Amino acid sequence: MATERNSVELVDDDAVRSFARAAVLAALMGAAAVVGSIPIPLSPVPISLGVLVVYLMGLYLGPYWGTVSIGLYLTAGAIGIPVFANGTAGIGVLIGETGGYLWAYPLAVILIGLAVHGTDDLADPADTSTPVIAAVLLAALIVIYGLGTAWLGYVLELGAIEALQLAVVPFVPGDLLKIVAAIAIVKAGRIDPT
Amino acid sequence: MIEFRSVSYAFEDVSVLEDVSLTIEDGEFGLLAGANGSGKTTLLRHCNGLLTPDSGEVLVDGTPVSDDLIAARSSVGMVFQHPRDQFVSATVGADVAFGPENLGLERAEIDRRVDAALEAVNMAGREDDRIDTLSGGEQSRVAIAGALAMDPSHLVLDEPFTGLDEPARRSVLERLAALSADGTGVLLATHDLRDVLTLADRVIAMRDGQVAADGSPDDALEDLAGLEVRVPDR
Amino acid sequence: MLTYEPDETLAHRLDPRSKLAVQIGFAATALAHPTPRALLVLSAVTVVVLAAARVSLRRTVIAYRYALVVLAIAPVLAGVTIGSPWFDRADALTSGLASYRVLLILLVSAAYVRSTPVRDSRAAIQRTIPGKPGQLLGIGIALVFRFLPVLQGDLRTIREAMAARLGTERGTIDRISTVGMLGLTRAFDRADRLSLALRARCFAWNPTLPPLAFSRLDYPVLAFALCLALSAFY
Ligand SMILES: Nc1ncnc2c1ncn2[C@@H]1O[C@H](COP(=O)(O)OP(=O)(O)O)[C@@H](O)[C@H]1O
Ligand SMILES: [Mg+2]
Repeated sequence: MATERNSVELVDDDAVRSFARAAVLAALMGAAAVVGSIPIPLSPVPISLGVLVVYLMGLYLGPYWGTVSIGLYLTAGAIGIPVFANGTAGIGVLIGETGGYLWAYPLAVILIGLAVHGTDDLADPADTSTPVIAAVLLAALIVIYGLGTAWLGYVLELGAIEALQLAVVPFVPGDLLKIVAAIAIVKAGRIDPT
Repeated sequence: MIEFRSVSYAFEDVSVLEDVSLTIEDGEFGLLAGANGSGKTTLLRHCNGLLTPDSGEVLVDGTPVSDDLIAARSSVGMVFQHPRDQFVSATVGADVAFGPENLGLERAEIDRRVDAALEAVNMAGREDDRIDTLSGGEQSRVAIAGALAMDPSHLVLDEPFTGLDEPARRSVLERLAALSADGTGVLLATHDLRDVLTLADRVIAMRDGQVAADGSPDDALEDLAGLEVRVPDR
Repeated sequence: MLTYEPDETLAHRLDPRSKLAVQIGFAATALAHPTPRALLVLSAVTVVVLAAARVSLRRTVIAYRYALVVLAIAPVLAGVTIGSPWFDRADALTSGLASYRVLLILLVSAAYVRSTPVRDSRAAIQRTIPGKPGQLLGIGIALVFRFLPVLQGDLRTIREAMAARLGTERGTIDRISTVGMLGLTRAFDRADRLSLALRARCFAWNPTLPPLAFSRLDYPVLAFALCLALSAFY
């Protein structure tokens, strides 16, 4: 027994904590896909909180653990845990018409994470100025829209304008509101990222 | 054997444990009593190196915890207050197997331990049940099984009755009594002593981060007066 | 909802890695050949795959209904032109075929979802991806599966509490940020408690891997997956 135990390589304490947060946020993203939606005035599509959680992953987990978190979300959905929009799952969703958005999420998380935390230890996002956060979240949204639309256009053989009409226009109001909400969460300063 | 030698610990500047010395013998059923905030949780988390003393040291079976975390964590199985948040798998069997898997044991040995641990908490044959379909009492018992599967000599529980109704509470207590009778040491932190006092060999009372009293359950009733803990009606 | 269901079908007996290979091969060739002839063959393959996993077509269509709406709108959108001839049938047909192949890809992946328990996928991941990334992904998806219903419950509670406190009259941004903030706070509280439990149970980089093995059935299926993948290049 003693010899077996000697070979056990424990995950160190800080990594366990960050990993647990990454996994639970991935689950939160999945929960938001089913439970989170909030109807908004003057829009046919209710707001799903999904993209908000993508922002929060970058803001509160940083580039490294944020990527782990979104990677867990995508893998969980691919192997059949119902975490994609409206409780769907399967590799088909990653390849299907909305796959581009999903593949863009890790890029968005890395972008936000790097801009707010750099490559070192986690900082408090509340210390980043509001215009910088707004610009970074907007850039992340543009990455998501860009890849999402490009893939949708390719896989459904649509022109750029048609793809935008189908996949971007209806969602713009909600997604902008989510950026404002994310900034409000950060500036409230009540969540400790470390 | 778990040994505290002059252990002190502070969160930032707030002192939480002050010069605590204690020895918990193998096979003993000990109660750690004290009001909320008296330092019970902080003390327990030193037993398996979740917290490290600012001064003094903690030894498990004669070895300082910090020298061999794996040995300490295998010898001291720990069950936390919120069972819902300590499961790592969605099904009972996979969850209980987590500890022994980390120890790198052979699959046959893991299966044997999972069966034995579930048997010990009256959950035999429930491997494939989903954890979120279990009652609160069943979840508590599966959490205990998860600790038992590490084959510990001590089982340490922090307020395991929070949120449990009477029957569930009794079902957990009855299992602890059985484990204790089979030789597993039990150290139970609680601020509600009503029906556990009769099971215990020893009561350790805490006040403001210090051991205020330490003795047999009979003596304890006197000592516990004024410690804001719930004691049996007389 | 489309999820794993215990059953005895051919697909249930296959190794998740073979089923993964079939999906990738299928998707590759479907993306490469959106032609009527290829799609006819692939439709036949889809029917076989669905039968092999006993997938209910009706329930799958209901599960993917939102995706299907987009797939149905796409060809219409592609066909409509401003000015004569108002509707371009060639464009609509191209887009229609493209949409149809996406439908087939979705259906084939539904067969994996219905026939593969999370436990098996986790084993496949830990056995296929070496070292720390494989371990993080494997344990991580087990945790996602475990915590998904817990956090769904949290979000429901938060929304109900908000509605009860006249939250419906709040501004939209206020509501989104409140749900986001409370959801994140609770999630982190749970994660921090979970991390204690992981540490207490010796969470390690090199555990005993979950059992998984190819059976004789898997080899022809893997060969078929390879054919599908190669056909993407012709
Ligand atoms: N993470 C923490 N940061 C700062 N203070 C803490 C922390 N955890 C506990 N404390 C303080 O330490 C004291 C003892 O807490 P604890 O060990 O949880 O007591 P008990 O378990 O007996 O209720 C309390 O005063 C509590 O406020
Ligand atoms: Mg406590």
